[in-house]
Amino acid sequence: MSKSLVTGNLAAARTLAAAGEANRAALGCCAGAYPITPQTEIIEHLRGCEFSKGRVVAVESEHSAMAVCMGASLAGARTFTASSSNGLAYMVENIFAAGYYRLPIVMIAVNRTLGPPWNIWVDQGDSLMFRDAAWLQFYCDSHQDLADTILLAFRVAEDEQILLPVIVAMDGFVTSHTTMVVDLPDQAKVDAYLPKCNVPHRLSHAHPSTIGGLTWPRETELHRHEIQQSMERVPAVLATAIDEFELVFERRPAGILEAKCTEDAETVVIACNTMARTLGDVVKARREGGEKIGMVRTKMFRPFPREELIAAIGSAKRVAVLDRNHSPGSGGIFWQEIAATLRERPDVLLQDYVVGLGGGDVTPAMIGEIIDDLNQRSQSTAPIWKEAAA
Amino acid sequence: MMEITICGRGGQGGVTLAKLIATTYFLKGKYVQAFGVYAAERSGAPLQAFVRIDEKEITNHNQVYAPNHIIILDRTLIVPGIASTMNPDGWIIINTPDTPDSFGELFAGRRVATLDATSIAVDNGLGTRTVPIVNTTIAGAIAKVFDLPCDEVLAALEHFNFGGSNVKSAEQAYAHVQVATLPGQIEKLADSANGTPVTSLLDKTVGGMPRIKTGSWATRKPERQHLTPPCNQGCPAGNDVRGFVEAVGKDDCDLAMSILLESSPLPGICGRVCPGPCMDSCNRNEFDESVNIRDIERHAADHGAKPAPTKPWRGIHIGVVGSGPAGLSTVYHLARLGYAVTLFEGDQELGGVMRTGIPAYRLPREVLDGEIKYILEHGVQVHAGQFLSRDDLLRLTHEFAAVFVATGLQDARTLDLGNAGADHIEQGIAFLDRVRASDVRLDGQRVVVIGGGNTAVDAARSALRVGAKTVHIVYRRTRNEMPAITEEIEESIEEGIILDELVMPLRLAKNSTGFALTCQRMILGKPDDSGRPRPEPDVREGSQFDLSCDRIILALGQSMDTSILPEGSAIHEEGQLLGLTGAPLFAGGDFATNEGTVSAAIGSGRRAAWHIHRTLSGEDLFPPPAEPTASPDYITTHVFAHDPRQKTIMLEPQTRRRSFAEVRHGFAEEREIQPAVQEANRCFSCGVCNTCDRCLEYCPEGILLRDGDGYRFDASYCKGCGVCATACPRGVIYMTEL
Repeated sequence: MSKSLVTGNLAAARTLAAAGEANRAALGCCAGAYPITPQTEIIEHLRGCEFSKGRVVAVESEHSAMAVCMGASLAGARTFTASSSNGLAYMVENIFAAGYYRLPIVMIAVNRTLGPPWNIWVDQGDSLMFRDAAWLQFYCDSHQDLADTILLAFRVAEDEQILLPVIVAMDGFVTSHTTMVVDLPDQAKVDAYLPKCNVPHRLSHAHPSTIGGLTWPRETELHRHEIQQSMERVPAVLATAIDEFELVFERRPAGILEAKCTEDAETVVIACNTMARTLGDVVKARREGGEKIGMVRTKMFRPFPREELIAAIGSAKRVAVLDRNHSPGSGGIFWQEIAATLRERPDVLLQDYVVGLGGGDVTPAMIGEIIDDLNQRSQSTAPIWKEAAA
Repeated sequence: MMEITICGRGGQGGVTLAKLIATTYFLKGKYVQAFGVYAAERSGAPLQAFVRIDEKEITNHNQVYAPNHIIILDRTLIVPGIASTMNPDGWIIINTPDTPDSFGELFAGRRVATLDATSIAVDNGLGTRTVPIVNTTIAGAIAKVFDLPCDEVLAALEHFNFGGSNVKSAEQAYAHVQVATLPGQIEKLADSANGTPVTSLLDKTVGGMPRIKTGSWATRKPERQHLTPPCNQGCPAGNDVRGFVEAVGKDDCDLAMSILLESSPLPGICGRVCPGPCMDSCNRNEFDESVNIRDIERHAADHGAKPAPTKPWRGIHIGVVGSGPAGLSTVYHLARLGYAVTLFEGDQELGGVMRTGIPAYRLPREVLDGEIKYILEHGVQVHAGQFLSRDDLLRLTHEFAAVFVATGLQDARTLDLGNAGADHIEQGIAFLDRVRASDVRLDGQRVVVIGGGNTAVDAARSALRVGAKTVHIVYRRTRNEMPAITEEIEESIEEGIILDELVMPLRLAKNSTGFALTCQRMILGKPDDSGRPRPEPDVREGSQFDLSCDRIILALGQSMDTSILPEGSAIHEEGQLLGLTGAPLFAGGDFATNEGTVSAAIGSGRRAAWHIHRTLSGEDLFPPPAEPTASPDYITTHVFAHDPRQKTIMLEPQTRRRSFAEVRHGFAEEREIQPAVQEANRCFSCGVCNTCDRCLEYCPEGILLRDGDGYRFDASYCKGCGVCATACPRGVIYMTEL
C-alpha cells in the first residue's frame, strides 16, 4: 500500500479498475461509461485502463451506459460505472431496472446539483432521487473513505445474501477535483479481498432463460419483499466486509455511520460527506470549550440505519440535521428519514437546516451559527433555509 | 496549517500550480490539499486555486478565506482588498515585470515578491505567446520565496513528468525572483461586503448583460472583412453582380437597376447575350448549380426604372468613333461625367455588332433600341452613315478635346476551299447582317457553317429560320472546346442543327446535286497555346468524307482593321499613338483587346472613360486594387440548403426554329413570390455581409448588436470564442489574436 497524491475522481477510478481487474480469474469486468462534469476524469481514466479480461464500453448516453452495465452484469461480469446530476436523471429508467434485476453493479455518483438554473457544483439531489430504486447508497467524506467504500461496495453488492447494486457518492469538485493524499490499494491486496464475482442468476447458454418477464401481482410482491429482506441483511454483511477489510488492509473504514463525542452529548448535529468533516472540526473545538456536543456522519443512506442512528444519538435532547439536498414540498431528505426514525424519541427536539445547495461553501462559522440557533430553541420549526432565508 | 490562494486566469495553469506546490510538500512527507474553484471553463476566465499544507491529516474542505500567502498569476487581477484577509507575515507573489517597490502603495507593509514569469515562460516556449503557461516558472519563484531548495520543486516537476523548458524556467525563476518587505503600515480594510444582490429566476430585472464583463478573458477578437465576390471578380463589365442580385432578392428592381447603371448602360442586352463568366465563377457551382445571374440581370433590366438622364455640364467635347458596346459604354460614362459627346457610326443604325451580328431571336431590336435611346438621352450628338478614314480621324483630334476609337473587328478570317463554289461561300457576319436587313430565303438549301463560336451558331440558327432544309456546323475540335455559349449550342441542337465535331473542311467541289464539301476527320492532341487540345488529322484509312451542301457560311473569327489609325501605329496600354498632333486618342473594345464579348467591351469602354477623364481633369476614378476574392474555401456551404435553379420560360424548338421571335423569356412572373426573387436569394453573398444575422443569433454571449448595415461587437463582453466567425457562412468574420 502506498500513499498517492490524487484527485477524488482518480482515487475512485483507480480503485474501480483494481476491483475490475481482480475478477480476471472469473468472468472479468465491464463498464458502460458516458462522461459528464464533474465525473469525466473517472471515465477518462477507465477508458485508458487495459484489463486482463474485460473492457470499458463507450456509449452515446447515460441511459445506454446503464444498459451496458445491466447486460454485462447479467452475463456475470463485475460491473461498474459513474455519473452525475442530469446524467443520472437520464439514466433513471435503467437504474430502477438494475435494482429490480438485482444486479451487483457499483456506480460512483459524483454529486452535482440538478439544473436549472445550470450549476456544476455539489448537492445530493441527484443520487437521492434513487432513494426508492433498490440500490444501496453510501456517502463518503474523504478520498480515503471513497476508495475504501468502493471495495466494500463490491463485497456487499456481490454477496449472495444481498445481490443489489450500490451507489458510492462523493462531493462534486470538493472531493472529485481536490488533490489529496490517499492510500490506494495494491492490486494484490484487492485480489485477496474481493472474491470472484458470482451472479447466480446470470444468463448462460447451458440454461437458457428469460429474466424479469411478466409476473402476477403476488410474484412481484414476493420479489419486492425479498429485496427488503436483502436490505435488512446489509448491516451484518457490511460488518463482515469491514472486518475482513481490516485484516487485509490494516485499516478500518467507516460503515453505516460515524459518531463522535456523542456519549454524553446533549446536542448532536448530523451531516454527511465533506460537510461532516467541517462539522467534526467545529464539534472538536466546541468540546474543547466545554460544550456537551457531538456529531453523527450518516454514511449509509440505503438501507437507512434506524437502530444504529437511535443508538448513536444516545441521550441527546437536541438534534440538528444539515441537509445539502431538498425535496420541494417537504424538506431535507436526510431529515425526513431521521424524523421518521426519531418517532421513538418524542423527547428530542429535531431541527432541519437546508445548507449549501448548488455548491455553497458550508463554513465552520455557518455551522457555529446553526448550533447556536439549535441550542436556544424551545421547539422545532419547518426546515430552516440557512442561506436563502438570510 | 499553511494556506495559499492562487489568483490566475484559465489557461495559465493555476490549478496545476496548486498541485505542484502540494506535491512539493507531499514529497517532504506533509499532508496536503490542492483544489481549484471551477466555473467558466474558458481560457482567460479569472479563477482561484487553493493549497493547504499541514503536519496532520487535513479535514477542512472549505475554500480558503484567510490565506497565509497569495500568488497572483496575472497582475490585471489585482484589485483593492485582494490581500485584506491575508496573514500579515505572508508573501504576495506576483507575476509582473515590475519590481516589488512599485506595489508600495497597494501592498504597504507587506512582503512582496515579483517575477516576470510570463517572459520566462514565453522565452522557453511554454504555452503560446498569447496564453503562456506560467505555473512551472512561478513554482521556481515560490521555492526561493519559501526558502526551499530548488531541487525540492524540481522533484515535484519530475513527479508530473514536467521536464525540459519547465525545469529551465523554474531554475531561471529561482534565480531572478525579487523580494522586498515594503515600507508602511498594512492597511486595515473592512471585511469584504457580502451584499451582492442575488437575483431570482423569475425576477423581471433578470436578463440583459451579465454583471461580469468577460471581455478581459479574450485572447482573440472578431474582425470583419470585405472580400471580392467571385462573380464580381469574373464580370468583364465590372458590374457589382452580388449587389444587383441581392437587390433583386429583395424584389427591388429599381435598386438593382441603379447598381447596374453604375457600371453598364446595357443590362438588358447583357441579361440576354452575355456568356456569363460570373456564373462560371459562382461558388454555388461547388454546391449544386450556379445562380442564374444572366436571367436575374435581364429581370432587373426589364422591370427596373432608370433614373432621369443627366445633361452635359462641362463644356468639353469628346468624339467617339464606333457605336458597338465599347463605344456606347464610353459615351455613356463620359456623358454621366458631364462631357458633351459626339458619336460617329459608319452604319445607318447604332449598335455595331449587337445589331448586325446578334440575331433578333436572341436580342430583340426593341431592347437594343431602348438601351441606346437612354444613352443618347444624356445629350449625345450622333453622326451615322459614314465610315471614317485615317484623315477624318486626324481631323477629329483637332476638333475634340479627346477621341476614342472602338470600331471593333472588321476583317473576317477566311478559308481556302478552292475555286469551285466561291459564289456559294459567304462570311457569317455578312450573312447575319443580310438576314437582318433584307428578306433572305434559303428554302430547301443544305447549309454548312464552319466554325465554333457564337457567330457560327447564330448563322446556323438564322439559316434554319430563313428556310434551310438542313444545317450542319462543322468544327475541328469537340463541343467542349467550342467558344460559343453552351446554352446556345444546346438550343441549336434542339432545333435540329447537326453538329459535326472533329471535322476539318478541305475543299469544295461541284457534284450532281450541288456541292460536296470534302472533310477530314480529326483527333484531339496535346494542348496548344490556347490551352485547348490541338486538333490533328486522323491518319486512319477512310477518315475523309464528303458532305453534300448548297451553301457554305464561314464563321472563323474576325480581326481588327487598323487602317483608320496613323500609319505604323500600334495600340498599347497607356501608350501614345504615332503621328498625332491633336488631342489624345484612345482605343478600346474588340478593336483594342479582341476579348469578343459585349460585357468585356462595356468594361473596356468604362475604363476608357476613366482614362479620358483622368487625362483631361486629373481626377482618378479608377477603383483601388480589389480585395482578395472570396474563394470557395471562405464559404461554409453546409449551412445552405440544396436548391435547384428556378425555371425559365423558353419557346419550344418546333415553334422557334422557323421564327425570329425571342427564344428565351426569362423567369415566369405569375407567382406571388417571383421566381427571379427566389433565384436571387440562392446567392451565397460570398465575402460580403448581407446581414443574415447568423453571427448575431449564434453568439453565445448575445453581445452582437445591429449597427447600420452591419454589426457591432461589444468588446467589453466578447470572450473571443470565435463562434461568430464559424457561424458566418460567407467569410466576412474572422478572428485575430489580441
